Amino acid sequence: MSIETNSQETPIEYAKRATRETAKRLARFFSIRLVLQIITIIIGVYITILVANMGGYVDTILKASIIEEVNMEVSAMVSEKDIPREMREQMVRDLVEERERLAGLDQPFITRSFHHLWNGLTLNFGRARFMVSDHGSRMVRNIILERLPATLLLMGTSQLLLFFVTLSIALAVSRHYGSFWDKLIVAMSPTSSIPPWFYGIFLILIFAAWLKVLPFSGMVDAPPPPTKLGYFLNVLKHLILPAGSLFISSFFINTYSWRTFFLIYSSEDYVDMAKAKGLGDRAIERRYILRPTLPSIITSFALLMVGIWTGATLTETIFNWPGLGTTIYTAISKYDTAVIVGTTIIQAYMLGITVFFLDFLYAIVDPRVKLGGGK
Amino acid sequence: MSKFARILSLLLVTVLLGGMLIACEQKPVTPEPPVDEVPVEEPVEEPVEEPVEEEPVEEEPVEEPVEEEPEPEPTTRVGGWLDEIVVSIIDAPSVIVQMEADAVDVYVNGFGTNDLDQLNDSGLPYTTSNGTYYTLQFNPAEFNEGLNVFRNRKIREAFNYLIDRNYINQEFYAGGALPKWFAIMTNFGDYALLADTARRLETKYAYNFEKAKEIIDAEMEAAGYPLTDGKYMNADGEQYEVIFLVRNDGDGTRKAWGTYLTGQMEKLGFAVNFKEGTGGDLGPIWIAGDPKAGEWHMYTGGWGASVLNRDQSNIFQEMYLPTSAQGLPVFMENDSDPEFQELGDKLYNREFTTMEQRAEMMARALELSLEDSLQVMIVDSKRFVPHQEGLVVTTDLAAGVESAQITPFTLRWEGQEGGTVRWATQPFLFNGPWNPVRGSNTTSDQGAVRMTVGYATTYDPYTGLLNAFWVDKAEVTVQTGLPVQKTLDWLTLDFADEIVVPGDAWADWDAETQTFITVDEKSGGEPVTATAKAVVYFREDLFDVVKWHDGSNLEMADIMMSYIMGFDRAKEESAIYDKQPVGAFNVFMQTFKGFKIVSTDPLIMEGYQDTFSADAELLVPIGYTWINNFQGEGSFASYAMMNSAEAAHELAYTESKALELEVEQTSTIGGPSLEILTKHLDQLIADGTIPYEPTLGQYITKEQAIARYQALKAHFEKYGNYHQGVGPYFLKSVDLNGKSLVMAHWDQYPDLADRWSMYSAPKISDVEIDGPGQVVGGEEATFDIYVTFQGKPYELADIKQVKFLVYDAENNVVIISAAEAVEDGHFVITFSGEDTAKFGDGATKLEVAVISIAVAQPTFETIEFITAQ
Repeated sequence: MSIETNSQETPIEYAKRATRETAKRLARFFSIRLVLQIITIIIGVYITILVANMGGYVDTILKASIIEEVNMEVSAMVSEKDIPREMREQMVRDLVEERERLAGLDQPFITRSFHHLWNGLTLNFGRARFMVSDHGSRMVRNIILERLPATLLLMGTSQLLLFFVTLSIALAVSRHYGSFWDKLIVAMSPTSSIPPWFYGIFLILIFAAWLKVLPFSGMVDAPPPPTKLGYFLNVLKHLILPAGSLFISSFFINTYSWRTFFLIYSSEDYVDMAKAKGLGDRAIERRYILRPTLPSIITSFALLMVGIWTGATLTETIFNWPGLGTTIYTAISKYDTAVIVGTTIIQAYMLGITVFFLDFLYAIVDPRVKLGGGK
Repeated sequence: MSKFARILSLLLVTVLLGGMLIACEQKPVTPEPPVDEVPVEEPVEEPVEEPVEEEPVEEEPVEEPVEEEPEPEPTTRVGGWLDEIVVSIIDAPSVIVQMEADAVDVYVNGFGTNDLDQLNDSGLPYTTSNGTYYTLQFNPAEFNEGLNVFRNRKIREAFNYLIDRNYINQEFYAGGALPKWFAIMTNFGDYALLADTARRLETKYAYNFEKAKEIIDAEMEAAGYPLTDGKYMNADGEQYEVIFLVRNDGDGTRKAWGTYLTGQMEKLGFAVNFKEGTGGDLGPIWIAGDPKAGEWHMYTGGWGASVLNRDQSNIFQEMYLPTSAQGLPVFMENDSDPEFQELGDKLYNREFTTMEQRAEMMARALELSLEDSLQVMIVDSKRFVPHQEGLVVTTDLAAGVESAQITPFTLRWEGQEGGTVRWATQPFLFNGPWNPVRGSNTTSDQGAVRMTVGYATTYDPYTGLLNAFWVDKAEVTVQTGLPVQKTLDWLTLDFADEIVVPGDAWADWDAETQTFITVDEKSGGEPVTATAKAVVYFREDLFDVVKWHDGSNLEMADIMMSYIMGFDRAKEESAIYDKQPVGAFNVFMQTFKGFKIVSTDPLIMEGYQDTFSADAELLVPIGYTWINNFQGEGSFASYAMMNSAEAAHELAYTESKALELEVEQTSTIGGPSLEILTKHLDQLIADGTIPYEPTLGQYITKEQAIARYQALKAHFEKYGNYHQGVGPYFLKSVDLNGKSLVMAHWDQYPDLADRWSMYSAPKISDVEIDGPGQVVGGEEATFDIYVTFQGKPYELADIKQVKFLVYDAENNVVIISAAEAVEDGHFVITFSGEDTAKFGDGATKLEVAVISIAVAQPTFETIEFITAQ
């Protein structure tokens, strides 16, 4: 978009007007983006609430579970005692009613669904209905926060390592198209169809069961080493296999993808021109290959950073890794809406914020991109 | 490393090498668009605890004793045999690999019967205990629309013939379960006493497809669905469709035998609508749904038993009758046979006066239960706990290893004092907060807590009777005419025409004045009577030798604190009132008549209740109160601290109250609770508060209370937790996120480590029958029965009875009687000429059931011989 010049304007006035116009344009652009992001988040979270509750059918499941639980309890209570049947039945009725009330089942699902939505959007995660944190807290915040470090450690280590290693190798391999290493990457890329937990089982069998050099599972030995350094080293030792399985699982396909991506840019005319001008490999890589691919790399990296918050459910399960992935899964299986909404809203906000700021970044790193569009 | 692991490793290496070879030959490919996404994992179903629909409690058999008994040796060691028990979690699928790699010593949760083959292949030793038992549950309701043929008892009964229980056991449970016909637990307690009836009925209701077909064809025809072209069709040409709800979670065996049964029904002529799902999926239909709505006909039931229930008089009402305490709509819809209804209710209410009368009623009820068949029993499954060679693991025949009270006292390395055991459990450790009143109740958490506990009386793992633990003796008195018996010597049993409760005994609690209400005060001076009374004498040095894990001596204030709280929490006037215990409290008060502290040094208590048990041992608890609660023990100091936080509405013992108040549930081992508890403990130290002072002030002084609080604080500062107990191990450390904990040996425990060594292995007898291979009808014949345990003759004093049954060539029971004792381990059966004349011609089978006093599981043995007339 360009700003029309006015013949009576001085250059300074023109510059000021252009700045004002740009600011207005940016403000309008970001306002619209912000509103759209918020609407998207609201819709996404509400859909999550509906899905997690099976559109309200979970109420029926929970009520059945309460009836069963209460009947078992009362049955055990009155066992071998001469308790009148009426009293027994009244106890069941009272307990069922009380537990349904505590579980919020005395309110219509639709009312509760908006309650969950509002709490989530205002980051008031509240209390879990069924889950407790390892430390015994019912605060959703505590449930998430206590699992987050383990997930960030596992996912952060494996995914950041994966990102930078595959990017570097892909760049190098793309410069040696058809070489042995290039062919190896291509040939091995189908192995990434094997999920990380499957590699995890292999690695456990080899390094824990057979060689006995690494632990089977967990984040730290039981009992943990008493010193901080010992604890740190012990965690690292436990990290090798789960992080390794996540790394191996995606290594070849990621390298292959980046290598292919770089190859496309490597075959552009301007790269050939640069080569013809006699520029060195490093300079060509930096100026003519990496620079135009930077928005894609940044996008990929930003989404990766969002992704590491979700954890890796199966890998965490295989390795008994106390991460967020298993927590989210448990919340889903227990229909604990507060925890599901809590984790979802964090994801949604992070994704929204990331996408929002990516627009800025695109404009900074790629001169071809202008914010706000224009005529 | 296992063969499987080697093969997998080899495969991986092959894939890698293959990739490299391909790389050497492959031509460059055309570049493709980039892929940015990181692969995302699919969620997998987390293992869940075995869902148990109801709660009948029973007893069970053991196939082979595999535990090794330690060499008897004098020891000076006190408490547990081990220095440390390290508890951590493990995923079931990796257990065997980890045990083979020596990374784990015992997997206490154990495997189900469906995993038995895999366990046997591993070569690991294992113990055996009860598992879930499975049933086919019918919907007996009259549907609002359409016909429900399972309202017809004859059709339900015929399913006993339709189901080949032995096939199910062999095919889906690796032969490790027990085919089941009755609600009482197979091969245990009542089953042993009723062995003759049980065996006769099992023979009668053995698999017989043709008989099932004959009955069901006739009943379906009468119902308007005659068999037409192999299908039950009505006049409109519609085939009768059965909606079969099949659970596909848990160990997966319900789906397997559900599929088998579907095939059997389709062979008969039913159309089966096979609806599979998890407990959560099907619960709304069969539990919460209206049975009359016709949404289902049959359901694959699974029930748990965690206690060796010696008296299953209540089981018929609970499992079949509309008056069932289960209270589920489906039970209430059963139109039961009036005789069965009356019998089941009488047995539930124990309306019998002698054990012989009870046995007759139970035998008849067994028969009627098969005729009713609201539930057709399928199998009693088992659980197998694998452990390393050399580890001595005691299993409670019902509770297994993890849930057994005896486990911490007997767990040891054979022939060794000290050492560490790596105890692996399901991933349900720290599944909730720990607090003695209402902490987490997962088996993983309770299994760990149980290591820190001491007892007044404790359950015998093999008989279900109560043994004296820190009680010296007890005197039980019951009303004359009640059929109560006594087995063990540490108690006496007397009968009295009337048991009057003393006027000064406590009958209730006044939460406002914080004093007990006496019987006289409550009854206005009217005499109060009870059906049972127990006087319990604790060991004389109890308060000198039993110490809390914070180093304080056990005191009368500890016991009284715990007792008071049992009343106080259920009283609305109390500062720690909670709705949660009110129901159980009201039930307790229905039968509670009075309680009295006779003496505090030595400690003697007596209690009065309107309750009843066929075993006097099980009546002893009415005569004492102890420091145990729902989850472990609480000391005077720890309860004072937790009560203070509860009264301030900063924490709550129960989940429901915590939800109500929107505060955290009390945890003694971690989380936000610790800071709050510490604040209240500091306040107690500063104020020298004695809770419930009008009553507890009689048992503890302010200075003593402060000393107790300070000891608890010192313990917390050293170990980082407030968990208290008087058991053989104390909680040394926890890693809540890592889900592990360390229980360490409690050096100040009063008893020697070998006190419970006799429970290293269940005294299940081996039986051999010796007799002629051929018997002539009309002539006398003699058979010798040799009963041994670990190669030595079984003492006569430990054998209750040796029953036998004789089956003729057509499998009819022709004689039921008892063998005669000759000497330890030797019995004899002498058949007169009149007896052998009943055998008929052909193959005759003699089955012997040895019923022990030392273990609730009888041993069965058979011999076949030829009879010629």
